[in-house]
Amino acid sequence: MAEIFDRLLIRILLAGFVCLMIYLYRYAHVIFYPTVKRQVLKKISPTENPADTLHLFSRLIGISIIFSSISFNEASGVMLSLFHFGVWGSIAIVLYLLSLFIIESIVFYNFDYTDEILKRKNMSYAFISFCHSIVIAYLTRTVMMEAENSLIILLVLWLYMLVIVGFSVKYFTFISKLTFNRLLIQKNLSLCFSYGGFTLGSGFIIASCFDQEHYDITVFCIQVLLKTVLSLIIFPIFKKGIVRIFPIRIGDSRSHATEIDSQMQGLGYGFYEGSIFISAAILTTMIVNRIQFGTIYPFF
Amino acid sequence: MQKFFLYSILIILYLGLAKALSPSEHGIQFLKNESQFSKLLKGKNLTVILVDTHATGFLIKTYYQKLRVISDYENVDEMILRTNKEFAKKNKDFIGLSIYRKTSETEEFLPLPPGSLYVDNPKYGIWKTNKKGLTYWSFHKTYKNFPKYLGWGKFKLTKDFHQQMKNSISLNQPFYGLQNEFGSNGSITQKNFPHFFAQDRKKKTDLRALILQYLKENF
Repeated sequence: MAEIFDRLLIRILLAGFVCLMIYLYRYAHVIFYPTVKRQVLKKISPTENPADTLHLFSRLIGISIIFSSISFNEASGVMLSLFHFGVWGSIAIVLYLLSLFIIESIVFYNFDYTDEILKRKNMSYAFISFCHSIVIAYLTRTVMMEAENSLIILLVLWLYMLVIVGFSVKYFTFISKLTFNRLLIQKNLSLCFSYGGFTLGSGFIIASCFDQEHYDITVFCIQVLLKTVLSLIIFPIFKKGIVRIFPIRIGDSRSHATEIDSQMQGLGYGFYEGSIFISAAILTTMIVNRIQFGTIYPFF
Repeated sequence: MQKFFLYSILIILYLGLAKALSPSEHGIQFLKNESQFSKLLKGKNLTVILVDTHATGFLIKTYYQKLRVISDYENVDEMILRTNKEFAKKNKDFIGLSIYRKTSETEEFLPLPPGSLYVDNPKYGIWKTNKKGLTYWSFHKTYKNFPKYLGWGKFKLTKDFHQQMKNSISLNQPFYGLQNEFGSNGSITQKNFPHFFAQDRKKKTDLRALILQYLKENF
């Protein structure tokens, strides 16, 4: 009984410690978003600005996803476990916020957080930011797990992941018919669902590329690169295939270009594109990762 | 058109990267035909025995051959080479045979029973006669393991065998033994290279049987 009670206490203690780390994160968030200092450090009013709420709490979801990858080893001592969590949790917070900062600087290079979220309450911007938070968190989690408590490997893989994500977000303009900057200014929700689907899909693909056994960092990076290029080859096949299987009609044959454009800005088209991107990405991960070709050596 | 061009570039890039960087591409050399043996194999007085052959791939086949290279002083090595369809097809009946021999002066490509390079060479052994009057080749003690490496087992190479082999060489015809003991259909080869002749390797794919087995195992 005493042992069970002790374990329960340890769990409660660790839960409290994780809360402390999240509290730390709240302040770290301010470093990268100094303009939100007033909102973050005081009580938050969710109904006042839903876009800001979504933007802020998506980060909270993200950091929770990353924290879930860090494990406690009670056998090595509670204090050491707490220290381990403290160190790796802090690293995770820094890497996560830095990744978000870099990726959002690439994607929203024409936009300002203060203008879009605080002044214009742009839900489209907030939703895209939400998708970034989730995807970056998922990828940082994958990279942290692959690093296996090695700081050097973590830094190498994190940088590598960031480069791939940086390129992948630019890929959206090639495969979507929606104009990102114009529609984002218009707070268009079709764009956010389409882009959200794309970001989540590319996140799945990149995470699956990183999710493999590794013995040597160079070989691992090569394999990730090869899988990424292979995904770029396979993804359009699924995308084209799904579009052919589920053809859509936008306007009729006599419709003007402006009418077609306005229909594409409808919510339905955003759902359509987003769903295609996610399903094509998931199927791509299957083709890239789930086919075992075996080896010639068992025969020899 | 532009997208098609980009896609083609991507495929070429992938193939190039995979070829250049993939670890599985390293370490296996390509052998176009027998004339390239001399480039791959250094040393003299060596004999190359074909031990195994295997093809992988669904639509585009890749052919691999496992070779046993025996050189002076019992230096035995096994190597896997990638080869082309023609060479693989040409050699399919030559399992257990020596397909290449090299001395300091000559190179031979005629498929012959393994050990043909060493037999009748006093450096490697002598002819002995047993109580029944049978004259056979016996390796010196230094080369006592050669029969094992050559895949002879308990086979004793007789004078008649040697004479017939010389006749075949003069006719430039592959020689499989007096009673076809060597080669893919030879009894001695089948006994001493059991891995290649294992039952599960020979199994032909019967789709119906395969599906029935799958259903039985999984449901």
